[in-house]
Amino acid sequence: MSAPSEGTLQRVATFVAAFGIGVAAYIAIEAAGGDAPTCVAGGSGCQTVADSTYSHVLGVNIAVFGVVGYALLLITSLLRGDGARMAGFGIALVGFGYSVYLTYLELFKIDAICQWCVGSAVLMTVLFGLAAARMVGYAGKPA
Amino acid sequence: MNEERRRLLLQIGSAAVFLAIVAVAVLIVVSSNETDGGDTELEDVGLVERDLKGIPQGGLTLGEPGAKVTLYEFGDLQCPVCKGFSEEIIPDVIDSKVRNGEAKIEFRNYTIISEESIPAAAAAIAAGKQGQGWDFVELFYRNQGIEASGYVSDEFLTEIAKGAGVPDIARWNEDRKSAGVLRQVKAESEEAESLGLTGTPSFVVSGPATQGKKVLGTPGSAGALEEAIDDAN
Repeated sequence: MSAPSEGTLQRVATFVAAFGIGVAAYIAIEAAGGDAPTCVAGGSGCQTVADSTYSHVLGVNIAVFGVVGYALLLITSLLRGDGARMAGFGIALVGFGYSVYLTYLELFKIDAICQWCVGSAVLMTVLFGLAAARMVGYAGKPA
Repeated sequence: MNEERRRLLLQIGSAAVFLAIVAVAVLIVVSSNETDGGDTELEDVGLVERDLKGIPQGGLTLGEPGAKVTLYEFGDLQCPVCKGFSEEIIPDVIDSKVRNGEAKIEFRNYTIISEESIPAAAAAIAAGKQGQGWDFVELFYRNQGIEASGYVSDEFLTEIAKGAGVPDIARWNEDRKSAGVLRQVKAESEEAESLGLTGTPSFVVSGPATQGKKVLGTPGSAGALEEAIDDAN
């Protein structure tokens, strides 16, 4: 099986990033209205996570940072060249690292799991994988 | 030329991955030290928040102020049996009778274990003045130490107050040491004695069907407390 073309990696990343914008925007909009995202199984993990002190950084809900991050990844997935490859990789790396940290907080600090946050962490992991494959496979090569 | 550029980009990428791993590790270590550093790591902050979420609180009363039935819980924050009640029985009563506005629960301090019970009780009343009384009581129980072992320090009480979400810690500190609050602690214990209560937790109920306050003693199940609330209504 041959490695996927750069175009394929970009298209999948565009789709996943668009999906990520939707998830992060949903969490941000619910939080702005004072609510927590609805947990699919009816659990209260999302409420607990949304109410925790970790849900805001510098007074801004972290889901807002998520929307911005996914939007930037969407843009880099549409652009060509090493600049886009490196920027996409860097942003996905930050997003992935932060997702690891947030998942750690949910498991060991907040003692609650929010399915929407886990969903976002999975999307960010996929995007990091795509960005890494794009960079390792195509960095320095003509667009 | 392209190969050189490629090698440089991959080196930058590798360095970025290394930095990211270090950054995440540092974040995790720092945040775990935030509460693991002392001997006051709090348990169940999220759980208590969740159990009480959306229920009105005033002073040490939990529930709709206009609820017809009042269940009084006379407890000592140092009492291990009260902790058991707080974890196993009270949450069911809250869900079945308080959340729907049928009854309210009023926590009253009956400081019988040791002198340390008094500052604990005063701290709970002071938290109640800022609308977080029940959060304080429930969080205290879930982090209770061995009775009369000296764990009820200013640091411990402050950790509980912060974990319970008391917004103004400076005011809480003043309130809990004020003469008025200490008088209230004494008055609540005296009330327990005048009702003939001999241990903690002891429950008392009042409602339309009771002549004043009716002593329930220490019913062993949520069902028994729920029945007493129904009978008082």
